Parts: sequence; C-alpha cells; structure tokens
Amino acid sequence: MILLASGLTKTYPGARTPALSDFNLSLESGEIVGLLGPNGAGKTTAISLMTGLLAPDSGSVQICGTDLFKHSRKARQWIGLVPQHIALYPNLTARENLTYLGRMQGLGGRVLKARVDTCLETAGLSNNARMRIRAYSGGMKRRANLAAALLHEPRMIFLDEPTTGIDPQSRNMILDRLSDLSRSGTSMLYTTHYMEEAEKICSRVAVIDEGRILSEGSPKALIDGHPGCGDLGALFLHLTGKELRD
Amino acid sequence: MMPLLATLYKELLLLVRDRSGLLVLFVMPAVLVVVVSLVQENVLKSTGETPMDVLFIDQDQQEIGLRIQKEMGASGAVRLVTTRNGRAMDAEASRALVEKGRYQVCIVIPPGTTDAVQKRAMAQISGSIQGMGSGAPETDTAMPHLTVYFDPLIHGAFRSSVLSALKEMLLAMELEIKARILAETLPVQFSLLLQTLTGRLPEPGSAPLFKMDAGWGTRRLMDVSAGRSRLEKLPTSVQQNVSAWAVFGMFFIVLPLGGVIIRERQDGTLVRLRTLPVSYLTILAGKLAAYVLVCWGQFLFIVLVGKAGLPLLGAPVLTLGADPLALTAVVTSIALAACGYGIMLGTLARTFEQASMFGPVSVVCAAAIGGIMVPVYAMPPLMQKISLYSPLAWGLNSLVEIFVREGTLRSVLPELGYLTVFFAATLLIAWAAFRRGDYLAGPAPY
Repeated sequence: MILLASGLTKTYPGARTPALSDFNLSLESGEIVGLLGPNGAGKTTAISLMTGLLAPDSGSVQICGTDLFKHSRKARQWIGLVPQHIALYPNLTARENLTYLGRMQGLGGRVLKARVDTCLETAGLSNNARMRIRAYSGGMKRRANLAAALLHEPRMIFLDEPTTGIDPQSRNMILDRLSDLSRSGTSMLYTTHYMEEAEKICSRVAVIDEGRILSEGSPKALIDGHPGCGDLGALFLHLTGKELRD
Repeated sequence: MMPLLATLYKELLLLVRDRSGLLVLFVMPAVLVVVVSLVQENVLKSTGETPMDVLFIDQDQQEIGLRIQKEMGASGAVRLVTTRNGRAMDAEASRALVEKGRYQVCIVIPPGTTDAVQKRAMAQISGSIQGMGSGAPETDTAMPHLTVYFDPLIHGAFRSSVLSALKEMLLAMELEIKARILAETLPVQFSLLLQTLTGRLPEPGSAPLFKMDAGWGTRRLMDVSAGRSRLEKLPTSVQQNVSAWAVFGMFFIVLPLGGVIIRERQDGTLVRLRTLPVSYLTILAGKLAAYVLVCWGQFLFIVLVGKAGLPLLGAPVLTLGADPLALTAVVTSIALAACGYGIMLGTLARTFEQASMFGPVSVVCAAAIGGIMVPVYAMPPLMQKISLYSPLAWGLNSLVEIFVREGTLRSVLPELGYLTVFFAATLLIAWAAFRRGDYLAGPAPY
C-alpha cells in the first residue's frame, strides 16, 4: 500500500461544518485515482492533509507504511506535489528551479544533474531549460510544474488540477507522461474538473462533496452502476447536483 | 547543510536579478551618503566646524595686519584668501564677492592701522603719566576700525564667534603694544622726574636708573581651554553619514526580503517547499543567511564610498575606529535585526502592496525617530524618549560609538543586546503568525 488515509476529519476554525469528514482512501502501487468534486467539496483540504500541509482533527495518513504526522520528514521523501499554482520562481530558469528543488530533496552532484536532465526531457523542456519561467507559455509552465515534482522519483504524487488552462498539446503530453509514470509504479492522486481526463487516465475515481466521499470505483463500474449516466460527467452531475457552487 | 546553502544561493540569485531591489539596497544608501555628506560638509564649514575660506584684505601691511593674518591662519579654523586669480584684491571687490555668497567672510584691515594704534597708545600712555589722576587725555589720531563683512546667510553663532575671536586678538595686541610703549616711556619719564627732584643731569653714557621688560604685556595671567576629552578628533560629516545611511539602507532589506516571502506564499512556492523533507526553519535560515550577507555587502559598499569615493569630492576620508571585532558584531547584529523585521513583515502582510507600503514607511519613521536624519539631541524631549526604542537608533549609536568614540565590544554591548532581542522577537512573532496562518488560511491553504 502506497497511501493509506484513514478517518481524516478537518474543521476549520469558525466553520460550522467540517471541510472533510471521515475521509478514507487507499492507493496501490501504480494506481491513478481521480478525486472529483465541485468547488468547495474538500478536494484541496484532502490533498493538504495527505501531504502534511495541514494537521487533521482526527485520522491518520501513511505513506509507504510511514506515518505522515509522526515521521513527516521521512514520509515526505516519498511524496511529490503538483500544486494548482505554478509553484516555481519566475526569475529563475527551469534548470535553476529544478536544481534548487533537487538539492532541497537531498540530491547532489551527478545524480542531481542527471535527474534534472531527465525531468526536463520528460516535460519536453530540454531545449528551453535556460529560459526563465516568467518567459514560458502557460503550457510550458504547467509542464515545468510537473517536472519539479518528479525530481526525487516519488512513489506517490498528488496532482491538483495540473492541466488547468493549457493548450491541448501540452495537456496531451502531461497525460501521456502520467500514464508512463503509472506504468513504472508511481501512484497518483489526481484532481480535475475535466471528466474526460479522469476517464482517460484514472483506474479509479472518488466523487467527493461536502467533505465526504459519495461514490468510489473504476470509472466504468461507476457509470454502469448508475443507469442513465452515459459518462463520468453525467454521473458527476447526478451525484453532486446541478446547482452552482461559487 | 545542503538545503541551507542551496537556499542561500537561490536567494542571492533572485536578488541579483531583481534590479529594483538592488537599486534600493545599494544605490539609494550610497547616493544618500554622498549627497548628505557633501551637503553637511558645507553646513559644517558655514558653522566653523571645518576650515572655511575667508577673504583677508590687508591694506595695513604692517605689524597688526601681519599678526592677524599669522594668528588666524595658525588657528586652523579658517583658510585666509588674500589673492584671487593670482591678483591682490581690494576691499570693494571682496565685499562684492561676500555679498554674492562666493565667500562667507571678509576681513579688511585699513591702511595705517599699525601707525595709528601706536600713536594712540603713545598718546594715551604719555597723557596718563603726565595727567595722573585726571584720566587719560584724548589724542588727535582717529581710532582705526577693522571691518568684517559677512554673507547674510551665515549662521548668527558663527558670525559672533568670528567677531569675538577678532576682538580677543585685537585686545591682546593692544595690551602688548601698550606694555611695550610703557616699557619704553616709563624709564625716561622716571629719569626726568628724578632730574627734576635732584636738579642733576644724568652723566652722559650712564645706564638708565631702571629698565622695564617690554614683553610683560604678552605674558598671560589666566587662560581658558576646552576640557580634556578622550576624543582627539571631532566626528566628520562622513563618519556620521556613513553610519546613519548604512543603517538606513540595511533596514531597507525589509522590502525585498518581505517581498520574497509574500511572493512565495502567493505563487504557491511555499506550499511546494513545505512538502519537501526539509524543515521550514532550515529554509528560513538560508534566506536569513543570504540577506545578512547582502546587508554586509551594503555596509562594505557604503564604507568603500566613504573611504574612496567621498574624498574625491572633497569630503574627509572615513575612519572606522579601532575595534574590528566590535564593528563586525555590530554590523551583524544590525543585519540580523533588519532581516528579522523583513521576515516578520513578509509573514504578517497579506499582500505585496501592504508590505511595500508599510515596510519603507515604518523604516523611514524609525530612521527619523532614531536620529538618522536629525540628531536625537535636537529633538523635543518626548521624541528623545521615543528614540530610545528605535532599532535604527541602536544601530546608529553603536556604529558612531565605534567610529567616533573609538568604542569597544564592551561599550556597545547594550546596543548589541537590544538588537539581538529585537531580532529574536521579530522571528518569534513571524513564527507564531506562520503557525497560526495554517489555520487562518481557510479551506484553500495554497
């Protein structure tokens, strides 16, 4: 088991209802699990708890068998995060960003250089490695954002809407690379508003709303289990409703 | 160690690429040091703290004019200018130059001053001896008047001190001349009196009945001088300004440092950093080390300006005191205090706009309160009390102590303590706000 989240509950100070309630999720090696939900459903809170950015009110998270909250430094060696924002320094080049983050992961020397080269290659940025991030296009920034999470070869990657607002070519490339990583044994928790993406790459999806998992299973099994829902998009609206969530 | 060094390198790289940040940190304080030092140097000249050029028109060309020229020149307070473009000047042209503000003072010794003074002294003394008991008779010779022209903009205190110095010089000369003439006259008068009393003429070639030392009038009966101080030299404008603007510039580190912290939070880079297997304290220590190095760079740059740049513009050369260890400790403490404040500001401010507005304004206020712009002794009593709580005042006082009073590590210990406590307090506040921020951030922590 790569990720095991058990009974995670989190209520923010001043809030009447919990942002996440009794959240349970497990991922096996090489699995890509889609976490789907409308705005405010609890996706980001779940990722924040499972990456150790927030402490839960109750519950536990284990990464590769290590308790995230008791041995956070050790557990964090196994995880990679692709945040929703382009979490890179705009005034540094892609290579400089990756080199810095690699050093922070404890890499050095030839190993670091080799990993930076590999990740730039994976993201299709080798030819633009000396450009500053601020000069990148939206798609290049998203790919660099992904490359930064792969440097230390994590066993578990959390991806928070990694393809938002980019060109179809970049999206296609990112999805292909994620599938490659999955085949090599890397597990991923993937949040997105693009249902076709989830249907394409996720082996399992969990639909979440109001801090609870409403339904969980393979995309096909979920669609088959809800007559009248021809695809994941229809199923999503069926489970979470059509009213606007601002 | 690698994460700390990696962060240090990354911060320096980011700062090198931040042109506006570099301008604020290096160019602004250097420009302030140069401009204010030169301006202040001129003000010090106009108040007599440093030698000033004074026009000296000696139409007498005898004892009195030459004595005044010699004594004023030897005082070191003025440089007497007697020619312009290689030609002697007349009184009217000199007066015009002063009125135009080209020179601040012009002293004119009228022709015949020495002769007139000696005639008047002779007449006064002879008259006094002859008419003993009935007061000194007036003489036909008019009293010579030395004239001093001042630039109307010159400080009143300086004007008074120039006049007082000249009057003192004239009185001393008067006394000397009177004593000399008395020493010449009195034995003659005494012989004449004796001749009248005895009815005998003195034998030709005989020595006078008594002699009087002509130099008695120059020997002082009392004197006054400035009290002994352990300082041999007064602070120069460069020493004052390098200290002041170095501290000011170092505290401006709050702008780029606070900005970096806010941008990391807004860009989401902080989120990525916090998922790394590295303590955030290590990352913060790397930032701190980088910006303390930058502060040292600022200080050394400003010292270089004081040592090499300002002398080229006519200002005095900067001297750094005698205790490099104390100086190192003080500069490091100021740098830590400034960086601590920057980290606190970056943590507390929600937006870059808030930090960029509050940071510089707070530093300028603390600088004004701390005596960077106006000396603390010139402030009203309430402001003087408030200035005790300005970190910039602690920094400035400790640097001035080392530069000017040749202070040691021991003499700057109180300021070092205050700066260190300030640094620790700002970090604690920042850490508390950072921890609290986890929960205040709401449902979207990144």
